[in-house]
Amino acid sequence: MWSVGFSALFRREILRFVRRPKNTFMPPAITNVLYFAVFGLILGGRIDEPVEGIGYILFLVPGLVVLGTISNAFENASFSIFHGRWNEYIHETLTSPLSYAEMVVAYVGASAVRGLIVGVIIAVIGRLFVPISIENGLFLVVTMIVIAALFAGFGIIGGLVARDFDDLTVMNQFILRPLVFFGAVFYSLTMLEPIWQAVSMLNPMVYMVDSVRYGLLGYSDMHSVAPAAYAEFAPYASLGVLTLLTVVVIAVDVYLFKIGYGLTD
Amino acid sequence: MPPAIETTDLVKEYGDLRALQELSLTVEEGEFFGLLGPNGAGKTTFINTLVGLARKTGGEARVFGHDVEAEYQEARNAIGLAPQEFNVDRFFPIREVLMHKAGYHGIPEDEAAERADEVLKRVGIYDKRNERFDWLSGGMKRRLLLARALVTDPDLLILDEPTAGVDVQLRHDLWELVTELNEEGTTVLLTTHYIEEAERLCDRVAIMNEGQKVTVATPDDLKTRGTDTITVRLESSPAVAPDLGEYAHETTLEDGHLEVRVDDGGSTAPQLLHDLEADGYEIADLEISRTSLEEIFVDLTRSEDRTVTRSGASETDEPTEDETDDGAAREQEGIA
Repeated sequence: MWSVGFSALFRREILRFVRRPKNTFMPPAITNVLYFAVFGLILGGRIDEPVEGIGYILFLVPGLVVLGTISNAFENASFSIFHGRWNEYIHETLTSPLSYAEMVVAYVGASAVRGLIVGVIIAVIGRLFVPISIENGLFLVVTMIVIAALFAGFGIIGGLVARDFDDLTVMNQFILRPLVFFGAVFYSLTMLEPIWQAVSMLNPMVYMVDSVRYGLLGYSDMHSVAPAAYAEFAPYASLGVLTLLTVVVIAVDVYLFKIGYGLTD
Repeated sequence: MPPAIETTDLVKEYGDLRALQELSLTVEEGEFFGLLGPNGAGKTTFINTLVGLARKTGGEARVFGHDVEAEYQEARNAIGLAPQEFNVDRFFPIREVLMHKAGYHGIPEDEAAERADEVLKRVGIYDKRNERFDWLSGGMKRRLLLARALVTDPDLLILDEPTAGVDVQLRHDLWELVTELNEEGTTVLLTTHYIEEAERLCDRVAIMNEGQKVTVATPDDLKTRGTDTITVRLESSPAVAPDLGEYAHETTLEDGHLEVRVDDGGSTAPQLLHDLEADGYEIADLEISRTSLEEIFVDLTRSEDRTVTRSGASETDEPTEDETDDGAAREQEGIA
């Protein structure tokens, strides 16, 4: 898997976003400074602790980290694939002897790295506003890698399906963002009526935000909101499902490359 | 050694359209092979099925014995492609673009850098190595496409209309370079609709039309398939064209010039002169014109939708290089 060809493509993908920090790292950094300042400091001061022992700014950190990570992983993969299709330079990769799996893993891997870097940047910004001590480090790292890879994998599909740049915007703004905002980033599920708690359980983002919150703060909404059978194993069950989903999505990516969906005539 | 390219009953369909219709073609290793045909004949589709930019609908295609789908990695590793379109990575300076391409083909970074410099020098744009693709002139872009095809040191070089829209100087430079490469042992597949180019460079040409192979032959062989015209100026013009032997397929008389269409002008001329003199005509002048490859090509690919251009003529229906350069895409660059 780690062939010279794979490394070359992975490196190319990393360099593409690293050399453009104004386009890739500055926007989420600025947005999150605003989130922490407005929602955390100004409004958060007037909001009771959503969960006992965890202040509002601290409660926000995991959700914002997830929001930044997955949207950047998705955006990077979808843009890289779509821009390459649009200008047809993805042919440089497609006509090379790289295996389809190598191509996909290089695109997904690099996009996940961008998502993770943004996640770290947001955590560091959060740390400027509130002290953070990581409760379950290993669980947190594994979860972050899984969700970054998952959304990078979704991004590949988005980049292959898109017909113009507007489609990418639609996917990010009208699908991804609302799901994350209703994914308990800014509130605890315990604050909702039971009916909305049940509805929220259908939103996959809830499990991601909750898992990262568990890794970072040691608190999971699932323990009080999910059905007893699931609550007992949450958030490890969430991580298991997310990992499985990531493997499936990447397998779909490889399949789409193999049949040349969106890539070949 | 298996042939460089071998296809058997290759079919590619786009919905109802059959772009390739049971195309069987063999290009031997070391050959300089031309693919001639009007626009829409299926030349680019044929190439795309070999390099992985189109999936075949049926039949078989092998590159140096490797099936282009089952053994796609081996097949693609052998090919260097200079396409018609400017499909070059716009995020990086061209030297890095070449290094990346070499890297994808398994060439380690140090060696990739050396090769990138080498091919940039070879095509004459080394001093532009730190520029990005968008800032190159049309001719330089064309040179870069060739450099990118060469950076992986391919055994099979595929050139898809490499001289479309380029100036005379560049065209000659490119011809010289690919001839040199072919002499060094690289198999070359060239598609063109400049007849002169095929005639000048290719060992053999295949003429394609509407996704089918019309014929495969050497340019010389092809020319013998056409007829020659012997034009004779007579001292005193007769009222009607004289009756000649069976060798004359067609005889016309115009302004005192007698035009006789024959299979082979050189060997038929003495007989014609003899016959005319025997009939009492006095011959003032004689000229033999051979059928051009272009005329044969036109005959072979006769259809309503045809674009054939002479080398150097400008009436192609292709966009100019500026038009193919996607300004809108450039604006999008770097936004994410």
